[in-house]
Amino acid sequence: MRKFEKILSYILATILILSLGVSVGINLVSAQAKVFKPLKPTPEANQPITFKVYIGEVNPNDDQFKSPVAQKIKELTGVTLDIEYAPNQAAVREKIQIMAASGDYPDLVYAKGDLALLKDAGALIPLDDLIEKYGPNIKKAYGENLKRLKWSKEDPHIYCLGAYGTDNDRTLDVNGGFMLQHRVVIELGYPKIRTLKDFENAIKTYYKKHPTTDGLPTIPLTLCADDWRTVISVTNPAFQATGAPDDGELYVDPKTLKCTFHYKRPIEKEYFRWLNRMWNQGLLDKETFIQKEDTYKAKIASGRVLALIDAGWAVGEPITALRRAGKYEYMYGFYPVTVSERIKQAPPDVRTGYTGGWGIAITKKCKDPVRAIKFLDWLCTEDANILRQWGVEGVHHTYVDGKRVFLPEVEQARRTDPYFGRKTGIGPYLYPWPRLPNYVIDSTGNPIVPDTRKEDIRKNYTEVEKKVLAAYGVEIWKDLFPKAEEYPVKTWGYLWMYPTPDEDMRAIGNKLFEYVIRNIPKVVMAPTKDFDKVWAEFLKGMEDLGAKKYEDYKTKQIKEMVEFWKK
Amino acid sequence: MKNLSLGDKIFDVVNYLIMIFLSIITLYPFLYVLAVSLNDPFDAIKGGITIFPRVFTLDNYKEVFNYPTIGQATLISVLRTLIGTLLSVLSTAMVAYVLSRKDFFARKFITTLFIITMYVGGGLVPEYLLIRGLGLMNNFLVYILPGLISPFNIILIRAYIDTLPTELQESAMIDGANDLVIFFRIIFPLCIPVLATIALFVAVGHWNSWFDTYLYCGGNKYLTTLQYELQKILANAAASSTTIDYYSNLDPTRTMRVTPQSLRMAMTIVTTLPIVFVYPFLQKYFIKGMTLGAVRT
Repeated sequence: MRKFEKILSYILATILILSLGVSVGINLVSAQAKVFKPLKPTPEANQPITFKVYIGEVNPNDDQFKSPVAQKIKELTGVTLDIEYAPNQAAVREKIQIMAASGDYPDLVYAKGDLALLKDAGALIPLDDLIEKYGPNIKKAYGENLKRLKWSKEDPHIYCLGAYGTDNDRTLDVNGGFMLQHRVVIELGYPKIRTLKDFENAIKTYYKKHPTTDGLPTIPLTLCADDWRTVISVTNPAFQATGAPDDGELYVDPKTLKCTFHYKRPIEKEYFRWLNRMWNQGLLDKETFIQKEDTYKAKIASGRVLALIDAGWAVGEPITALRRAGKYEYMYGFYPVTVSERIKQAPPDVRTGYTGGWGIAITKKCKDPVRAIKFLDWLCTEDANILRQWGVEGVHHTYVDGKRVFLPEVEQARRTDPYFGRKTGIGPYLYPWPRLPNYVIDSTGNPIVPDTRKEDIRKNYTEVEKKVLAAYGVEIWKDLFPKAEEYPVKTWGYLWMYPTPDEDMRAIGNKLFEYVIRNIPKVVMAPTKDFDKVWAEFLKGMEDLGAKKYEDYKTKQIKEMVEFWKK
Repeated sequence: MKNLSLGDKIFDVVNYLIMIFLSIITLYPFLYVLAVSLNDPFDAIKGGITIFPRVFTLDNYKEVFNYPTIGQATLISVLRTLIGTLLSVLSTAMVAYVLSRKDFFARKFITTLFIITMYVGGGLVPEYLLIRGLGLMNNFLVYILPGLISPFNIILIRAYIDTLPTELQESAMIDGANDLVIFFRIIFPLCIPVLATIALFVAVGHWNSWFDTYLYCGGNKYLTTLQYELQKILANAAASSTTIDYYSNLDPTRTMRVTPQSLRMAMTIVTTLPIVFVYPFLQKYFIKGMTLGAVRT
């Protein structure tokens, strides 16, 4: 019996130990299984290196390389970034000038539009060979766009890697343009808002019924004409309403590449005629051309303004004020308004074509250009993009049935915590570093950038907004607009990224810019019978200032660029 | 009051009313800034705030003081203002005293040298190269040394010393005082009014300057200054309110607690208050210093 007990105890003990071992084993396996998408360290991960970086941009989320994402970057690549951000936009140029003159370059630099100063000072390393040798991921991510990064015809080398992604992002939703308060369309039974006439009728009808809002006079339509804002709120809508895409002050003919000031397109005269009519009917706020921007914002925040024509970023603050006050019906919907049924607005996500232009450059003083290019190459990998967009798996995001989602508390924080980027590191390492564009789907089948699906976009909508959209039979505002696929890709990219090195031309351009701001109010406020005359005078004034010369200059520039990119 | 005629009384009343009105006009901008800084930022967009906040909040100030580097930055700003002002006033006064002495042989020549620098500046890049050559990059001394003496202040103090009777110095010398003793025991105490004035000038300059931080100590979190950090906070608030959120399509104002305008108001208060508090203590000298230095008797 004794013996049996002894044996039994041995057996039990063995079972116990075995089961312990097994359970530990199971735990280990399940802990490994939890990491759905492990991130691969680079071969240099155990050789620490610190790069000094100057970024000519303000960064509200500067985490001083301490956040979890930053630490993970270091763990995977061995790289520590010692980044100096500019304190404000105006100070960037001076810093770059001093760098160029003194030869005190950091290892990596983002000089925005002033990179030429450094290039001319011989501060930059051409990246072509480095990319060829050490940049398989760079080549893969940029693809055809790589040749658009080349500097110029005279100096066809790559000096920087584009700051706006490896390809252009797709605009996900409409934000701005022709805006109408929800209460207007709700009361009028969701009328069709497609032409300027529809827009005008809706405003007029509602205004007649409700001349006051919360005890104050209702304002049917107001614009912001405070200095350069004129261009955004008064003149840019003219090309929007006539179907042209945004190329700043110019219009580029997609076939001939000929540039003209967009005002000179005959059809745009109809837009200004409409504004003129609104003015003469008293539907355009009488203070439009004398109010300062803060008065304009105050009016919007009070909820009295029925309609706006402006960019979304320009009215974000007052609309947020409306949202916080719970005045959802006083917030705005976005409508694809044009001068006539026959013309469609350009799609909000029109495919612009890659422009390259600004980007991160490696300087001659860089302590290890090969490591630097390898780091930039790593930034082009899927792993690096998931890390920078979604954070660390298990800490910030997880996979539910293969779908990548933020952890609930992280999801909450990113919508409410103003210091989210600084605390987590999600955000600060995207712009201006190389990154994949927002339409990319990664190997796990998830979008590489968060909030790019329709249901994510709808999370920002209010109930009122959803009701209005449902009445128009769409899910998001963009659905009301033409699809990007119906239009060809623009061959010339972003015109605003083209520099104007010729001093004389820059002077003409500036003069014309000033001229438009000063004179467009005269056109809008002219008596109806004089409109044609005033418009003709307005156009003639532009010619007198040398508009033709400027257009020819830009046409030549674009043609050369398109030709250069073809190679 | 009894002896006053009706006309006098009316005059007094009107006079007081006008004066009160003037004070209100003068103070109004400051009170407005204070009111907006204490008002809810999104309520402030609606406008119409005068001298009292409508919806009280301390959020704007919290935003300023929540910035991670603000503590170190304040410390450096206070240090540079204290040390910088002290050394600057002392050195300027000493130079001024030397230049005021008629028996100093190179007086004219050196004065001319100083005056030339008031008209001709070196420019940004040469100055940077000089500072770098002197090894002052990323060094606390870069805040103190380059602006240690200013020709304008030297002239101001010298003019003041010139108004003092030379007999004072002569009698001290007869009593056996050397130059240093004369300076510290006779000249320095007598110059207090003008020195207080200059101390205030210099202190305000130190307190408000940020560009030297950017150029010479940029990115060095141990040597950052308050004004430099405030520049960043303001630019950041402006950036997150108007530029697109590059990273997602989330409403960029979603997490905004403050607006650039409200933040600017709070910052204005934060930066002016210390000076406002120091001012009353120096004011009595200040006025005296300005007038006494200006007119030679």
